[in-house]
Amino acid sequence: MDTPLVLKILYSLISLAVITIWGLSLGGIVRKIYARVQGRIGPPFWQPFIDIIKTYGKRTAVTHGIMFFLGPVFRIAGGIGTYLFIPAILGSTIFSNFSVSGDVLLVMYFIFFGQLGMALGAGESGHPYSAIGVARGLAQMTAFEVPFALSIIAIVIQYHTLNITTIVLAQQGSILNWTLFTNPLATIAALIALLGMNMHNPFSVVLAPQEIPIGPPTEFHGSYLALMQTNRGIFNAAKLVLYMNLFFGGATNIFALIIKTFSIYMISVVVGVSFPRFRTDQSIKFFLFVPTLIALLAIIILVL
Amino acid sequence: MVNPIMIFILFLGTAFLFALFDKIHRKFSFAILQLVLLINTFIAGQWLYKFVFTSQTPVMIFTAGFKPPFSINLRMGLEEAFILFAVNFVGLLSALYLSKSFKHSKVYPLVLYLMMIMGVNGIVMTRDLFNLFVFLEISSISTYALIALKENEQRLASGFKYMIASGLASVFFLLGTIFIYHITGTLNIDQIITHKSFVITSLGFLSVFTLMMSLIIELKPFPANGWALDVYQTTTSGVVSIIAVANSAGVFYAFYKLLPLIPHNQLLFIAGIGIVSFLFSNLIAIKQTDSRRLLGYSSIAQIGLLITVTALTRYLHVKSSTSLFIISSIFLSNFIAKAGLFWIAGIIKKTHIKEWAILRFKPGLLIIFGVFIFALVGIPPFPNFWAKWDLIRFLALSKLHIWIILILLGSLLEAFYLFRWFGSIVRSEQNEEQLLQPAYKTVPIIIFFLLLIIISIGIPIHIYQFDILPLLPIVGLLILSIFDFLPSKLKAIISMIIIAGYTLYIYPVLSGVSLVFAFIFLAGSFIQLIATMSRKGTDKGFFPLLVGMILSMGSLLVARSSLEFFFAWELMTITAYMLVLRGRKAEKPALLFILFSLAGAYLLLSGLSYAHVINFSLVGLGTIPISAHMLPITAFILIVVAFLIKVGAVGFHIWLPGSYAEAEDDTTSFMSSILSKTGIFGMLILLLFLLKMNMHHSALFTSMLGWIGIFTVFFGSLMAIFQEDVKYLLAYSSMGQLGYIVLCMAAMSHLGWVSGLYLAVNHLFFKAMILLAVAGVISRVGTRNMYEMGGLIKKMPYSFISVLIGIIALSGVPPLSGFGAKWLIYTALLEKGWYFRAGLSFFASAIAFLYLFRLIHTIFLGQPKPQHQNVKEASPFFLIPQFLFIFAIMAISMFPNLIIKPLSTFINPYFASTIQWQGNTLYSSLGYWNGNLVMYVTMGVFMLLLIWLIISIGRVQKVKQFNIVFAAERPFKPTTTHFAHNFYAHYKRALGTFVRPVTTGFWNGVGEWISSAAGSIRQIYSGNGQTYVLYILLYFIVLYFIMGGK
Repeated sequence: MDTPLVLKILYSLISLAVITIWGLSLGGIVRKIYARVQGRIGPPFWQPFIDIIKTYGKRTAVTHGIMFFLGPVFRIAGGIGTYLFIPAILGSTIFSNFSVSGDVLLVMYFIFFGQLGMALGAGESGHPYSAIGVARGLAQMTAFEVPFALSIIAIVIQYHTLNITTIVLAQQGSILNWTLFTNPLATIAALIALLGMNMHNPFSVVLAPQEIPIGPPTEFHGSYLALMQTNRGIFNAAKLVLYMNLFFGGATNIFALIIKTFSIYMISVVVGVSFPRFRTDQSIKFFLFVPTLIALLAIIILVL
Repeated sequence: MVNPIMIFILFLGTAFLFALFDKIHRKFSFAILQLVLLINTFIAGQWLYKFVFTSQTPVMIFTAGFKPPFSINLRMGLEEAFILFAVNFVGLLSALYLSKSFKHSKVYPLVLYLMMIMGVNGIVMTRDLFNLFVFLEISSISTYALIALKENEQRLASGFKYMIASGLASVFFLLGTIFIYHITGTLNIDQIITHKSFVITSLGFLSVFTLMMSLIIELKPFPANGWALDVYQTTTSGVVSIIAVANSAGVFYAFYKLLPLIPHNQLLFIAGIGIVSFLFSNLIAIKQTDSRRLLGYSSIAQIGLLITVTALTRYLHVKSSTSLFIISSIFLSNFIAKAGLFWIAGIIKKTHIKEWAILRFKPGLLIIFGVFIFALVGIPPFPNFWAKWDLIRFLALSKLHIWIILILLGSLLEAFYLFRWFGSIVRSEQNEEQLLQPAYKTVPIIIFFLLLIIISIGIPIHIYQFDILPLLPIVGLLILSIFDFLPSKLKAIISMIIIAGYTLYIYPVLSGVSLVFAFIFLAGSFIQLIATMSRKGTDKGFFPLLVGMILSMGSLLVARSSLEFFFAWELMTITAYMLVLRGRKAEKPALLFILFSLAGAYLLLSGLSYAHVINFSLVGLGTIPISAHMLPITAFILIVVAFLIKVGAVGFHIWLPGSYAEAEDDTTSFMSSILSKTGIFGMLILLLFLLKMNMHHSALFTSMLGWIGIFTVFFGSLMAIFQEDVKYLLAYSSMGQLGYIVLCMAAMSHLGWVSGLYLAVNHLFFKAMILLAVAGVISRVGTRNMYEMGGLIKKMPYSFISVLIGIIALSGVPPLSGFGAKWLIYTALLEKGWYFRAGLSFFASAIAFLYLFRLIHTIFLGQPKPQHQNVKEASPFFLIPQFLFIFAIMAISMFPNLIIKPLSTFINPYFASTIQWQGNTLYSSLGYWNGNLVMYVTMGVFMLLLIWLIISIGRVQKVKQFNIVFAAERPFKPTTTHFAHNFYAHYKRALGTFVRPVTTGFWNGVGEWISSAAGSIRQIYSGNGQTYVLYILLYFIVLYFIMGGK
């Protein structure tokens, strides 16, 4: 708590660097898995690093306007901010980040920061596919937000706090203290919501390769794209860290963090490779039905 | 003092000699007629003055040197003097109004006119039953002679119907008189009343019943009144205004005089006769398009109300001074307004109410017309308002619930057709036509108008002892009306000065939560007034109404009693209505607005009447000890529904989108960001009562209120996302945001109220910003459909910034102030244990992203349209207030303690605080939030990345429109490239069932049902004289048995 500000910033940079590398590697690993499932060899797991270095190196020649320019900045600031507001490793000064800024409500709403900025940037590009992608993405987001929010409410009822660190502390001691086991319904609902957040199949209609070129980022190239690719790594990892903290007992060291986040991510991947894509309205109906009911049940059980 | 008998001497003497005078010259005889009426007015006025201002007691005047029962005697008391003054005065003015037709007519109409008014004078003064009959005959014979005198088939027919009807009534009267004389042996009314025990015998009952029925039939009760409607419809305006007001006044007074004969237990039947007339006439009038017949229905309705009120106050033994006040206020409103309206009808010379639209080009006459209509409806400060206030209080005290419902329902129906008429005139698209306004016709109207105004200002000051404070909104309105010829910019500055002065004036009274609302109502208005400077020309009428509305909101804050609160509430409603009506297509929305607002006001009125407390106001709350029984459950529910209507809670929201959207663009921002919070303020007072009363079931109520709040949020947000019209989108968004505030207030906890007030202030900032920016955009592009815009960011960057900040603050994305609201709300809800409400509110707040993105994307981003090639940034007058609000948002985002700390202090007296501060971190029992640090972290990260991006990529080229990666085809038309129309089609497919217009359907059904009921009921008026006679007879017989005749 009383770490000097400069040191705090330095620590956060380290923490950020670690999570960026892990997040990007995770992305590469998943691409590899996808490829193998589809019978291809696939790129090496460090492919995302190569991609980013390449796109950074490319010429960034064109802008559609100020919001277009700021969009990627918003996006990655959103990703980094989200991560910085989550205490990544329990008891670690370096990985506690700026979690003193606020509780889980802050994190939940900060997730929107990048999405909103990105949507605005994509909007200014004037490309219809961007707007279509955003319309789909936002619509889907409202739907998976419901089970996610409800399961967080369930957790708050369970632990009487919104403080992430306290929630993690409450799960220490035994694996059976994890929310996964103490409150399985909430966990399941939240994990289903995570499928939507990660935008893998069947909820991939937002980016929708083969249908609309690549959705919101269509017009972004060069450094813009590089920033967004970097963010994809950070933001993904940040969400996984949040889930790990809320449902899987948090992490007391970096290895636990890596193993747990990898495992959580694998759920999305397994589902993603097994299912075809939903239409937007189908995914909305799905999220508002199955996982929402599960989460409601979780709350009802706790209240009773 | 002049002996009242002089009145008759003058009338009779002149009438006999009239032919002689007329031989000299018509001008001379007409002058004599005027003089007689003038002298009589003066005599009556002199008596009235004595009765009102000195301790003069009523006087009996005996004729022929004998005492009754051997001679006729007259009475002159307060009531008589009052009616005589009114009747002779209206006679005088009507004669002036008719001067042209009198000039060219034969001599008879003049004599008949004199006789008719003399008849009324006699009816009022005499205390002898047979003499009363004689005067009734004199006045009706001269009346139908006057009606039928002109060779016009319709008038002849209606005069004949009148003759039959009043002939029948005369027969009844005579029969009754004979029976009564037979029983009591006297014709003196006072003596009969002292012997009234005879009524219990069946003959006694029959006699009194026949007598009263005669008078009631002359008072045109529904349904035995077809003949009267035909008279109203066909007779010339000058004559009909006399018939409608003076004649009715006389007969009504005769009824009033004889009412003591009715046994106490039968009074409710009499009241029933009145209320049936009131209700059904108002109902049928809805279908009426003939202006005079419409006024006729309204007249009949008002007389019905008078009958009801007279009987009810007698039934309840209301103190005579109070009942006199109530009756005379209703009487006067109708008297003045109806005479005035009939006179205006004579100037317009159009039958169909739509054709009255030419009034639009005569602002003076239109204002007078409006004032008369407001007086009829009972808008403050007109007499009907005060009468209604006292009346409903008495009825509530005596638990006559059904009467309250019927009276208010009838009033609402009346308000509906009168306001519909008014709105159709103001918003008509008819062209200007020549309208002759000769002085002899306008002078009477203006005199009555001024009289009404004087009375209306006199009542609050003299009877209710109002000081200047509650009347300031009217003063403000009048001041701006005086300066209405000045250019808008100057008037805006004057308005700002007035509001600043008013704020300083009331500042010492304000404390605690009222400071918060004063900030919203007054400071918020002050800043938004800058935007009104963009109005061109003089824009007459806007500023007086606006200032009136703003000061009325201020009045709500400093009201000391329920009456002052309600007074301010109604003033605010009517000024807001007039402001909404200024919108180009606002005719229907404004009507819905005033209907729902009036319904709300009536609910509030009855709620306040049922409350056993006379100071329902924030100031009043502190002055009295609160006890458990002060607000019974009925009162609580009525009042809360009234406020829910104001905030547009789901189910009552259908008035909201239209009126917000169709009002003028800068008005919308006042309505949405400021006016809507008056409902919240009212609710706060109510909840404070609830809190201190420790009411049974209060938890259940607040829990229900919470659900209403959250469903309002949900449906408001959901409906917002499907709108193509930007103002409708924002209107629904407003509804949703207000729902959050209701939800928070209902939580009844420290944090709940802090978040409610925080949101109220924050909503002022961002909604005003967005609406003003949008107003600026609309003023430049000339459309409200979002898909017709696009790419405006380059043309209007400042407006864009303001909308951007606005939507971030609304959506709750950190680091701006909206997140503070979200954090407070969720913490409050979770603390309270309202988990499902919290869940739904997460959903709604996510849905808000949809409409917010749509708003900013379809207007400012995407592809610009060719026709907007040369669009300029909005006027600086729009931009200045926006940037002031941006500054405010930035300040409270950076330093949330600036706002949360004071709010928390204001709430401390009511609830124990559950939050505490450590430096800049706010701790609740569940979590924590450091707005300051969040801002630094976000800004730090953002700036670093931005700088890095700028440095790393160097120069970039800004490309032109359509320079995008586009597969297969070349984009060339913005209309096909700009993705904007039906933006959330997929969402509609998924959740469209929730936005089916169920509520609108319901209210439409109600409207349809009422309308067809009115349509079928009016079929009874066949226009056939014989049928009408049959109705009268049947009416007589049926009532006889209903009232227990044997």
